[in-house]
Amino acid sequence: MDDRDLVGRARRGDPEAFTQLMMQYQVPLYNMALRMVGRPDDAADIAQEAFTRAWVKIRTLRDAPFKSWLFQIAANLCYDHFRRGRRYGEMPDEDTNKVVGLGILTPDPQERAEASERNRLVRESIEALDHDMRLAIILRDVNGMAYDEIAGVLGVPLGTVKSRIARARAQVQEHLQQYPDFFPSTREDAHAE
Amino acid sequence: MPNEPSVPTEPTLDELSAYLDHELEDDAKARVAEHVAGCAACQARLDGLRQAAYAIRALPMETPPRTFTIPAKRRESFRWAPAAGWIGGVAVATLIIVVGVQHLPFRPANTAGSTSTISGGLAQGSGTQNGAAAPLAAPGVSSNDQRFSGQAAAASGNAATVADASNGSRRLVLDTDRASYTTNARMMVSVQLIGSPATSLNSGDQGLTLTLVHNGVGVALNPVGVQSWNGTPIFGGWYDLASLHLSEPRSGDYRLEATWVIPDGSGRVLQASVPVKITP
Repeated sequence: MDDRDLVGRARRGDPEAFTQLMMQYQVPLYNMALRMVGRPDDAADIAQEAFTRAWVKIRTLRDAPFKSWLFQIAANLCYDHFRRGRRYGEMPDEDTNKVVGLGILTPDPQERAEASERNRLVRESIEALDHDMRLAIILRDVNGMAYDEIAGVLGVPLGTVKSRIARARAQVQEHLQQYPDFFPSTREDAHAE
Repeated sequence: MPNEPSVPTEPTLDELSAYLDHELEDDAKARVAEHVAGCAACQARLDGLRQAAYAIRALPMETPPRTFTIPAKRRESFRWAPAAGWIGGVAVATLIIVVGVQHLPFRPANTAGSTSTISGGLAQGSGTQNGAAAPLAAPGVSSNDQRFSGQAAAASGNAATVADASNGSRRLVLDTDRASYTTNARMMVSVQLIGSPATSLNSGDQGLTLTLVHNGVGVALNPVGVQSWNGTPIFGGWYDLASLHLSEPRSGDYRLEATWVIPDGSGRVLQASVPVKITP
């Protein structure tokens, strides 16, 4: 069943249809909020509030895609979060809860420690971005959205999306280059081959 | 004077990044590709952008620390919204009850004769762990007792329903959004535990395991729980097939199995299964 059917039923007041939409989007929406604000509890609050607002307002949703609309609500809540003076929170160790990648066997302790440190450095590089760039790169590289979907969420032209993602990647790369042990230069790799 | 080969205009940072994402028009894409092939500096910039993108994509997708629900208060306010203001309170209350009964399952899967009850422990104890590929014990039930998806598949998905022979209101409903996926697709799974004696949204507490099986080898999936508006625990989520530790070749005919050891101490087990095809 696709979003349109479920949204149609939810607009007619069917909570089961909306529950199914929640189920479909809870992990990507939560992860978007998590990468934006950093702290799991804050991210869960944002995701819950986004779902609540979406349910209350779903009758106002006409032709816009549900996914973009839902993420737009959550994105606005993330901006509200920062406007209230809340800061990016440091994540606790996060290798116990993953959904995607469940099938991968756990590597040895040293590899796990290295992976954990790599992830921490990547999160740090995301945190260093301004909010607009951070959101654009999260929607692209965490949520896998296409540029036109991102433009729909952010309410900005495609060129702006393109530019924010590019600048964000360049800044992330600059940050990661400070840690060549974890992020070796790809050129050096190529020469080594 | 001989013509020198022309080097296409140097791409901008935006173009290089969009090139990575296949978000350029064909002519721009060709121009960037041609330039990068002959320009070490741009190749290095492109590699850097790629490394940044891949580093972020490699962050694990996290499970939410709690479940999301439609708050009861908001639910009421929706139902009592002005558009339905002329409807009397009794009429609305009746409607809610009727709708509630009609919508117990998400979609009415075929339940006729779909009884599958297994006594005692089962495949769950056969060594399958989250994330580990392990051989699965054959379920101790005849195929005649189970209603698999062939007939039960709903028009828009891939569903199977199994009812508890000793409790007609208890059913296990398993479904996926499709029956066939490519190796890098995401599969959406939902498992409804209708009539569960437990309210927990922890799959372990509910005695639920979800396993993708191929040639007798299973990979366990970790289902996330939410509560339906009528209290039914629903589990599932999106699973990135590329991330699962599937044996090579990854494509082939699989079965997705949901096994529910009913958490009432009886040791009764319901098991539902749907076929899943993974294509290259």
